[in-house]
Amino acid sequence: MTEAVPTVVSQAVPAKGRGHKQKSKRRRNDNVMGYLFISPWLIAFLAFTLIPIIASFVLAFTNYDVLNPTWKWVGLQNFERMFTADPRYIKSVKATFYYVFAAIPLRLAFALAVAMLLNTPRRMVSSYRAAYYAPSIVGGSVAVAVMWRQIFGTDGLINAILGTNVAWLGNPNTAIWTLIILAVWQFGSPMLIFLAGLKQIPREFYEAAGIDGANGWQQFWHITLPLLTPIIFFNLVMQLISGFMVFTQAFIITGGAPLDTTLFYALYLYQRAFVSLQMGYASAMAWILLAIVAIMTALVFRSSSYWVFYGSQEE
Amino acid sequence: MRSRLSVLAMLLVVAALVLSACAPAVAPAGAPAASDAGATVDTTAAESTGGEPIELRVAWWGSQNRHDRTIAVIQQFEELHPDVKITYEFSSWDDYWTLLTTEAAGGNLPDVMQQDYARLEEWVSRGLLSPMDEYAADGTLNLADVSESALSGGRLDGKLYGVNLGTNSMVVVIDADKLAEAGLEAPALDWTFADLEALATALHEKLGIWGFSGGLSNEQLWKNLFLSQGEWVYNEDGTALGYENDQSLIDYMTMVKRMQDAGVTMTREQEIAETGSSVEQNKIVTGEAAMTYIWSNQIVAVATAAGEGRNFILVPMPRPEGGASANYLKPSQFFSITSQAKHPKEAAMFIDFFTNSVDANKVLMAERGVPVSSVVRDALGPLLDVPQKQMFDYIGEVEPTVSKLPPPDVAGHANLITNVYWPVVWDPFLFGQQSAEEAASALREQGNAVLAESAQ
Repeated sequence: MTEAVPTVVSQAVPAKGRGHKQKSKRRRNDNVMGYLFISPWLIAFLAFTLIPIIASFVLAFTNYDVLNPTWKWVGLQNFERMFTADPRYIKSVKATFYYVFAAIPLRLAFALAVAMLLNTPRRMVSSYRAAYYAPSIVGGSVAVAVMWRQIFGTDGLINAILGTNVAWLGNPNTAIWTLIILAVWQFGSPMLIFLAGLKQIPREFYEAAGIDGANGWQQFWHITLPLLTPIIFFNLVMQLISGFMVFTQAFIITGGAPLDTTLFYALYLYQRAFVSLQMGYASAMAWILLAIVAIMTALVFRSSSYWVFYGSQEE
Repeated sequence: MRSRLSVLAMLLVVAALVLSACAPAVAPAGAPAASDAGATVDTTAAESTGGEPIELRVAWWGSQNRHDRTIAVIQQFEELHPDVKITYEFSSWDDYWTLLTTEAAGGNLPDVMQQDYARLEEWVSRGLLSPMDEYAADGTLNLADVSESALSGGRLDGKLYGVNLGTNSMVVVIDADKLAEAGLEAPALDWTFADLEALATALHEKLGIWGFSGGLSNEQLWKNLFLSQGEWVYNEDGTALGYENDQSLIDYMTMVKRMQDAGVTMTREQEIAETGSSVEQNKIVTGEAAMTYIWSNQIVAVATAAGEGRNFILVPMPRPEGGASANYLKPSQFFSITSQAKHPKEAAMFIDFFTNSVDANKVLMAERGVPVSSVVRDALGPLLDVPQKQMFDYIGEVEPTVSKLPPPDVAGHANLITNVYWPVVWDPFLFGQQSAEEAASALREQGNAVLAESAQ
């Protein structure tokens, strides 16, 4: 690699005897120095990303259990078992899909609504933006999850306000919704992206529509939404990917209970890896999760030609 | 060309720096096999006299209270042994095991680690702990004042892998004032589940609070149930359940559900939704429940959290009709020397100090349970406050009648509890999705499968 790049570059430079040679030598040195400067990153990438990825792929075909240094190959047994002999696995897949399909559209809708509110020229609007973005900075953190548990606890804030005594976190019908509400509350980053997208839509479109007598709803439906579809598409893909990997909230707030209704994929993976110590099985699960996310993303990409509108296509 | 060489040299330096961080982790993993530990000891002992301070690593889990006390004792030890520098790692229970298993996989375990009775066998079977018998024999680790019954929990195959740091037993705590208010009598020491249900129901009906806090479906009570009947939940090699007849479990489950449905104890739904799981947040502390069960060392935390002017009665765990005691004396936790320890002899010295030093135990104040050394116990006697005295008395009271200490949990225990006991057995039963009979046979069927697989 280090050799190939400077050679190509030096060919582009007009050859002029010694000058060319010196130049290419210096280029080469520059390149090596460049690689040297990024070597901390490269080494960390190898040590903490690439090698663990390869290791987990290998482990997926073993019965490795962390404490025991010896393991044996089990072929596809881990994968087979997931789909044929592990009812909790199926439950975790169901719970994750339920969460993703409920939380992600709601979060995007909420983010868009707030972005539209914050797109109006008002005083203090930039401080509102900062304030509304704050939940998503702290949202994934342990502290918020602990707070959420307090809020929805039996003697928590929600029950105090409603004057009820409902075990929100213990009821199989409501527990997952406390997590979905938390996800919706963390609308900050898609909101910012929506806001940037809204700023791109030319004012004239609205003015022209206003003159033609279109009301606010019609303007939203026929101007804002179509022009925003590339942004919606981007947000949808990003949120979908992160949605499938949800862990912290469920780990702290419900721990998968009640009746495994909040046993999200990543949480079950963690349980298998660090509670049951079945690292091989957990690795296999991780690769299936990757496949699920890849398939879902591919589906969204496939569908995009039907609903995503790029301005340039018109011309 | 020259510059390329210098670049190469720099790369090598960087690589060496990065890789050297891994090097010590790799070395000890293969080196000190348990059998030739003696050879290793001699060299480290020789080193330690050479003036260079050695670094001893100690790890434990616990609450802030325990961290403060333990660190103070570590400082005492360092003052007595200037040639030993102790570095320590502490965390909560959950994080502790994630941390230590990761260290074990990396060959980087501390010299001394706090061990749990439930995990001891698993760790020993994987060769991660070293036996301490030679240190006990040469006097480094003095166990003269410790009774065999207090030590036996740390022995496996006749070898000592853990020194008990304190003795505990499970206990039912009854709010004495609530009992008096309802005009009821404290139960006998050999009370049964039927007595428990009757007393809890009476308390609930007279006072309108929970008669018993909750947690009756906990696996600990499942174990107690079979212990009391002279059986054990696991068979000897951990490949299957150890009991033949499901009927007593079915009866017990039915009783728990009956109590939950009647509002005598918290429902499973309410248990899950509880905001706090620490013992300080127990419903008996807030006065919302008249009874609960805890480990005997936790009475100190409960009484402290409840505040002044509260009175508690400690009685043994209830047993099934016609059963023996449902109690046993549990080693609350151990100190073990890991097989990856670099200074096993100093590790043994530290454990000896923890066990026998009266000064150290005056700082520790039985926070880990009733001390195992009789000398230490006598020295602490006059210093105890009310809940601690209750704890010492309770251990003394149950000691003559307790059932034999059951074997440590088998390799598949954690797997069984997370993947079968709760999600397949108790939760569907308590949420009304299956009968007690179905639950008990699900435990037998799927539990046996998990155990057989984990035991491989």
